[in-house]
Amino acid sequence: MKQKSLKKGCAIFLALYLVLAAVFFWIGGDQFSFQDMRTDMLTGAGVLEEITAGVTVRQQIPLQGDELTGLTLYGATYGRQNTGALVLELYDGDRLLGSRTVDVSTLADNATFDVAFGGVDISGLSRAELQITAPEAAPGNAVTLYFGNAYSASRNQVSANLKEDELVRVNGTALDGGLCLQVHTRQPLWFGQFYWWLAGAGFVLLAGYCLLLLRKNRAGKHSALLNVLVAFSRYKYLMKQLVARDFKTKYKRSVLGVLWSFLNPLLTMSVQYIVFSTLFRSDIPNFALYLLTGIVCFNFFSEAASMSLTSIVGNASLITKVYVPKYIYPLTRVMSSTVNFLLALIPLLAVMLITRTPFRPSLFLLPLGVLCLFTLALGMGLLLASAMVFFRDTQFLWGVVNMLWMYATPIFYPESIIPAQFLPLYKCNPLYHIIRFIRIVLMDGVSPEPKAYALMLIASLVPLVIGTLVFKKTQDRFVLNI
Amino acid sequence: MIIEAKEVSMCYRMTYDRVQSLKEYLVQMVKGKIKYREFWALKDVSFQVRKGEVLGIVGHNGAGKSTLLKVISGILKPTGGEVAVNGTVVPMLELGSGFDFDLTGRENIFLNGAILGYSEEFLKEKYDEIVAFSELGQFIDVPLRNYSSGMVMRLAFSVATVVNPDILIVDEILAVGDADFQAKSKARMLELMGGGTTVLFVSHSLDQIREMCDRVLWLDHGQVKMLGETKTVCDGYEKG
Repeated sequence: MKQKSLKKGCAIFLALYLVLAAVFFWIGGDQFSFQDMRTDMLTGAGVLEEITAGVTVRQQIPLQGDELTGLTLYGATYGRQNTGALVLELYDGDRLLGSRTVDVSTLADNATFDVAFGGVDISGLSRAELQITAPEAAPGNAVTLYFGNAYSASRNQVSANLKEDELVRVNGTALDGGLCLQVHTRQPLWFGQFYWWLAGAGFVLLAGYCLLLLRKNRAGKHSALLNVLVAFSRYKYLMKQLVARDFKTKYKRSVLGVLWSFLNPLLTMSVQYIVFSTLFRSDIPNFALYLLTGIVCFNFFSEAASMSLTSIVGNASLITKVYVPKYIYPLTRVMSSTVNFLLALIPLLAVMLITRTPFRPSLFLLPLGVLCLFTLALGMGLLLASAMVFFRDTQFLWGVVNMLWMYATPIFYPESIIPAQFLPLYKCNPLYHIIRFIRIVLMDGVSPEPKAYALMLIASLVPLVIGTLVFKKTQDRFVLNI
Repeated sequence: MIIEAKEVSMCYRMTYDRVQSLKEYLVQMVKGKIKYREFWALKDVSFQVRKGEVLGIVGHNGAGKSTLLKVISGILKPTGGEVAVNGTVVPMLELGSGFDFDLTGRENIFLNGAILGYSEEFLKEKYDEIVAFSELGQFIDVPLRNYSSGMVMRLAFSVATVVNPDILIVDEILAVGDADFQAKSKARMLELMGGGTTVLFVSHSLDQIREMCDRVLWLDHGQVKMLGETKTVCDGYEKG
C-alpha cells in the first residue's frame, strides 16, 4: 500500500476519533456521569386520613447512592381544589437533611406528583425518615396520600412483606402498609469522571498504532490490519456484486418488489399489535414502537443467520471451482440482510413520527447498536455456515433454536414478566442487550448507562470471535465435505 | 519461477459411507464403524513453471490432474508440501457455474466477472467486447432463464475468456455452440494460450498438447511419471 495514502488514512481516522469522542460525550451527557436509581412504588390500596394541621405522617425510606434528587408520591384531593402547602422534611435521626414544600393547589386527584429535591447529600446513609405535615390545613381543605402493601407485577400482586419499622405512621400509629412513593437517587459514575482521560488514553494508543503501521509499511512488512485492508479493497467489487445479486433476486418477479422490505415488518407489527394490545393486555408505554423495534431487530438477526447458514453449502459449485476467501460468502449474506434492515428502519422512523416520539440526539447512537447487531449476526452466521458443512442437521436444528430464541427475547412482552430467579440466565441472551440498547436510544431518547455499552459490546464481540475461530479452523476442510 | 510446487501431496480420507447427519454419525461411532480409507490423489509432486511457459498435464482418468489444478488455484489446501504462486490465477470455470438465472445477461457479466476476480474498471472496459463476442445483441437485457442453452454457453465463454491473467488454467479446450461459434471459440482459446501468459493445460488430446505446450507433466496415480520436453513425454505416454 502506498505510504502517502496510508498517512492520509491514519490522519482522517484519528481526526474522526476525536470528533466521535466529543459527540459521544455530548450525547451521553448525564448518563455517563451519574447513575439514576428509582425504587419501585407500592400499589395504592387505600388513603391515609386527611392531612390537616396536627397530623404528622412519618415513614422510613430506603436510600442508595450518594444524592437524593427527588420523590414521587401518590396523592388524592377528595375531588376538590385545596389550598395550602404540604411540608416534606427528611431526617437522619435528629439531623434535618432537607425539606421541601408542595403547593397543594397544583395537585390532581388520584395522581402521582414529583417533588424535586435538587441534590441532598445522602452518602453513607441507608435510610432516612420522611416526615410530612400540613401546618395550615383545616378539615375540608386538605389532601391525603395513598399507601399500600403490595407491588403489582404484570397482572399479579406481590406482597411487599414490609417490616415493622417500614410501615407508615400517622401521629405515631402504624398503618398496615407503606406510603406509595418512589425515591429518586443518583450515584456518580467513574466512567463520566474519567471520560476525557479514557478518551485521551485511547487516542494515544491509536496514534501509537498508526505510527507503528506506517513504519511497518515503509519497511515493507505485512501486518494484520494492512492485510485485511488489502483483501477488502481487492474483494470489494465481488462483495458489491454478490450483495446486489441477493438484493435483486430476492424481490424479482414480485409485483411490489422492494416495497416488501417496508411492508413485511409493518404487517407483522400490525398483527402482533392487534393480538397483544387486545387479546393479551400489555402495559408497555408506546407499545407499537416497542414491538416494531423488537421485530425489526430480530428479523434482521434471524434472516442474516439463516441466510449465512446455507451460504457455504449453497455456493458449493463456486467454492469447488474458483478460489475466493470463503468468509466472503457468509459476510455478503449478512451484508444483504443489512440492506434490508436499513430499509426496514424507514417504517420504524415513520412509526416514531406517528407516535410522536421525540427525535433526540441519542438517535446518533443507533448506528452503534446496528453495528453490534451486525457483528452478532456475522458471528452466528460464520458458526452456522461451518456447522452446516459438516452436519446437514444444523438447518433443522436452527429452525427450532431460532424459534426458541425469538421467545427468549423481549420482542412483544416486557422483560418484567420474567421471574427474578431466571433473570441471570435470561440476560445471557446477547440479543437482549442489543435490543435493549436500541430501545433506550429510540424510545427514551437518552444514552444508556455505561454498563449497557460494555454488555452490548461483549454480547456482540464474543460470538464473533467464537464464530471466526471455528470458521477459520474448519474452512480448509469445507471443499472436501460439500 | 511463477509456480513452484514442492512435494505436494493430497490425501482424501474417505469413509465407506459418507456420514452427513449427526444421528448417523453418533450411531456409527457407537458401533465403532467409522473407518477411513486413505486415498492419495497426489503424492510428492514437485515441478516448476517459468513465466510465459505453457505446461501440458497428461494422465489417465483419476491420475490427479484436476486435484493438482485445484491445489494450484488455492481451492484445495494440500495435505503436505507447498505451492508458491506469484501472480493472479484465473481458472476456466465449468462454463456458467457462477450464473444466476434470474438476472439479465448484463448483470451476469458483471457478477461472473467479479467471481473470476476481474476488477470493475476492467469489466466496464471490456463489456462491449464481451457482448460482441457472445453475439447476444438485444438479448443481453433479458433474464438468463429465457436464454437457450447455447446462448448461456456463449455468454459464459465470452466472460471467461476476456481475461488477461498472469496464470491461466485450462481444463480441456472448450468449444461451445454451433459450428461457427465452435471455430471462433477454439481460435480464441488458442489465441489466449499463445499470447505470452503462463498456461497450465490439461487435455486428453495429445495432438493439442503437442501443438501448444513447451513442456509436459505426466501424472500417474498421483505421482510424477515423467516431466520434460513435449515430444519425449508425449511419445512415452502414447507407448505406456
